[in-house]
Amino acid sequence: MRLAILGLCAALLATAADAPRKVFSLAYDQHDFPNGLRLITVPTEFPNVVALYIVVQTGSRNEVEPGKSGFAHFFEHMMFRGTKNYPPEKYEAVKANAGVASNAYTSDDLTVYHMTFSKEDLPKMLEIEADRFQNLEYSEAVFRTEALAVLGEYNKNSASPNVKLFEVLRETAFDKSTYKHTTMGFLKDIQDMPNQFQYSREFFNRYYRPEYVTIIVAGDVKPEPVRALVAKYFGNWKRGSYRAAIPGEPPQTAPREAKVDWPSPTLPWLAVAFKSPAYSDANREVAALDLIAYLGFAPTSDLYQKLVIKEQKVDLLYASNPDRVDPYLFTVMARIKNPKDVDYVKGEILGTLASLKDNPVPAERLEALKKHLRYSFALRLDNSEAIAATLARFVALTRTPETINRKYELYTKITPEDIRAAARKYFVDNARTIVTLASAPAAGGGQQ
Amino acid sequence: MKLAAMMLLAGAAAWGKPEVVALPGKSPIVNFRFVLRAGAASDPAGKQGAAALTASMLAQGGTRTKTYKEIVDALFPMAASISMQVDKEMIVFSGATHIDNLESYYQIFREALLDPGWREDDLKRLRDNLINYLRVSLRGNNDEELGKEVLYNEIYRGHPYGWNNAGTVSGLQSLTMDDLKKFYREHFTQANLIIGLAGGYPPAFLEKVKKDFEALPAGAPGRMKLPAPEALHETRVVMVEKKTRSVAYSFGYPIEVRRGHPDFPALLVAQSYLGQHRQSVGRLYQRMREARGLNYGDYAYIEYFPRGMFQFEPDPNLARQQQIFQIWIRPVEPATAHFALRLAMFELDRFVREGLSEEAFQKARNFVSRYVNLLLKTKDAELGYAIDSRWYGVPDYQSYLRGALAKLTREQVNAAIRRHLRTDRMVLVVVAQNCEELKQKFLSEAPSPMTYNSPKPEDVLNEDKIVEKLKLGLKAENIRIIPVEKIFE
Repeated sequence: MRLAILGLCAALLATAADAPRKVFSLAYDQHDFPNGLRLITVPTEFPNVVALYIVVQTGSRNEVEPGKSGFAHFFEHMMFRGTKNYPPEKYEAVKANAGVASNAYTSDDLTVYHMTFSKEDLPKMLEIEADRFQNLEYSEAVFRTEALAVLGEYNKNSASPNVKLFEVLRETAFDKSTYKHTTMGFLKDIQDMPNQFQYSREFFNRYYRPEYVTIIVAGDVKPEPVRALVAKYFGNWKRGSYRAAIPGEPPQTAPREAKVDWPSPTLPWLAVAFKSPAYSDANREVAALDLIAYLGFAPTSDLYQKLVIKEQKVDLLYASNPDRVDPYLFTVMARIKNPKDVDYVKGEILGTLASLKDNPVPAERLEALKKHLRYSFALRLDNSEAIAATLARFVALTRTPETINRKYELYTKITPEDIRAAARKYFVDNARTIVTLASAPAAGGGQQ
Repeated sequence: MKLAAMMLLAGAAAWGKPEVVALPGKSPIVNFRFVLRAGAASDPAGKQGAAALTASMLAQGGTRTKTYKEIVDALFPMAASISMQVDKEMIVFSGATHIDNLESYYQIFREALLDPGWREDDLKRLRDNLINYLRVSLRGNNDEELGKEVLYNEIYRGHPYGWNNAGTVSGLQSLTMDDLKKFYREHFTQANLIIGLAGGYPPAFLEKVKKDFEALPAGAPGRMKLPAPEALHETRVVMVEKKTRSVAYSFGYPIEVRRGHPDFPALLVAQSYLGQHRQSVGRLYQRMREARGLNYGDYAYIEYFPRGMFQFEPDPNLARQQQIFQIWIRPVEPATAHFALRLAMFELDRFVREGLSEEAFQKARNFVSRYVNLLLKTKDAELGYAIDSRWYGVPDYQSYLRGALAKLTREQVNAAIRRHLRTDRMVLVVVAQNCEELKQKFLSEAPSPMTYNSPKPEDVLNEDKIVEKLKLGLKAENIRIIPVEKIFE
């Protein structure tokens, strides 16, 4: 035992010695259990508090059957509906007495259950979490009630035009990919959720299995005792066998466009999107597209300075190339102050993307951006919860924090030529989808 | 109340000198929080928005020597920024930098606050931003925040808290550069300033900062004198008519309790029991969402908590002399809207009459005592809370609460509930489509029976029989329907 601990320390020291080059430099312990469960423990310098993030590699991407959009998210709600040993009242009482902040979220590729609490409560929290991941049990009546809370969630989101814009963008851009629907799902599927009790059991059996799950423990902890606790509570969890056949997206053959009429007054929104490759920490094109989102559209970019600061025709402008398991969308978003400028702004965005194909970006801009990315990552990790939350995003993609270091290392190597090559390959007409959202004529049009 | 005010004066700064709240540490990150004791409540008559627009000009505009573009370019490689937050009595400028960039960041931060650029093109852009925030983001795209903000406006009508922190559209439109300069001269003084710094800065750095900010005019210490909010004699209802698929509710009334008041810890425990923000432990959440599936969540507050739909913990530096008790019912389906309001009132009534059981008290007290760790989990939050504690004249938040909670009894909590909370004489804000129809339902007091998509336990069904007939007791003359376009104008 003593030897094992020494060995572990040596391993941690080795990691720490390499640290200066790594953007995620905290020493961590990554451990695989025989049933396929993975545990990542990150001791941090922040006292007293521990963040526990349980990442399930299942999200709306896994919703392959028709009529089941939104189910991964719905299921996340059901996970709070108790077990034999811990019915909801008891589960809530344990959390209340411990002053736990807990919640969960679902996205395209992941479902995350998270808790932040005082360090002395770690054993109890692992016990109640292990229990619900293995022994979840709820009645059909409870299931049907929870479906209504999901509808309530849809309702509270529905006042936002952005939510609608993304719904239409995805539906327009994709044919077969499950990214065609949002994590929330289509309204008609949400309204049918109360009738899907049997399917919910099936969903649990498929995905709530150790091989889909990574546990992250970050905070005032030491790896060895955490391993022992996780072994104790999750060790008997049975491995599953299900693999979803997630359809690939056929190549797009023509540009696409859609318009959304918004029933009440709003400023018009514009989304300009291009199909982009899946997440990778080794593919220079992916890294280059990540950088283009900043080079072309961050507040320091020429276009932002022109449209937002100088001409003041746009009040919001940003772009992103989100990390996704499957090919997704590079998207530029703009909110335009006057509806008559929508076409002009669209032209400017397309013009910016086109110019990246021919004109190499100045080297000093690229260097400033590389610095920005490193500092921005470092500034984000200012508490244990933020560390665990950041790891969760990456763990959902590759199951290891090391991908962060590989990705940021790759950023440092990207050249102006890489940027040009990626722009030429991806910003082509046949990969494009444009969606505009504006007030319906009866709603009174845009303002200001 | 009087006592608390005296304590504050005792803790206040010497004449014309900034207060300093410093939390030095070993972190490679340095946090800045510079707080001015001024805010939207200081907006001159007819010039609502002066505080917000002045603060915007400093945080998001150029300085005398640099254009905004030059500032953005300089901050970008550091991944740093200057954020601002304007509340009724506080304006905060905050930011964080890696220690590598401390000097370069501070140079920009200092210049932004001490030597603003006052450029016309910045003014135009930032005025548009604030107007669009009111008209589009708040009024158009977020029914929940809209309801909450209208609640504050309505409770504080005719009071210096009576308009949005961003101002009003007409106020913003009327503001000139001279108005902003005047606001800056009057309120950006040493006496109004609290310098907050945390992290691994060298000791000499703090001295330099203090010296630099002597450039501000001295100013007079003291705090805004506020009138009492208008007394509520009956429940008043504001219904905001807009095209939306669901119905959002917010309601409440002023309370005299704030940090430092003897009943604050007791009411905090009570609030946590009734509706801890965005956690499933609260009673309202359990009865409305968990048992009945009426909506996504239901919470209670004793302090201002903006942007709650986007965050789990409140932002610090929203300290106020006057607070309200508030319940937030997240959007419900129109068909169950009448019932949902009745149920919320039913629960509030039970809460006020019965208070907490011994078990519920222990649970809620345990929750609050430990949850405070989580509120302070970042150095930035710790700094913000330390500034607020200074402002309220209480010890650091953790010790303040821990000390008070350890001595707290169930009887004290229940007595505090009875003293400060009630079910009548409130302001109720409703954001909905077809307000007239809903108003008639309210006034008719007709039963609003629930139907469920699944069998319900006996206790829920029995309770429903009472709730569906619960009298809201609203009067037609106290209900106003306002088209959304008229709000914040």
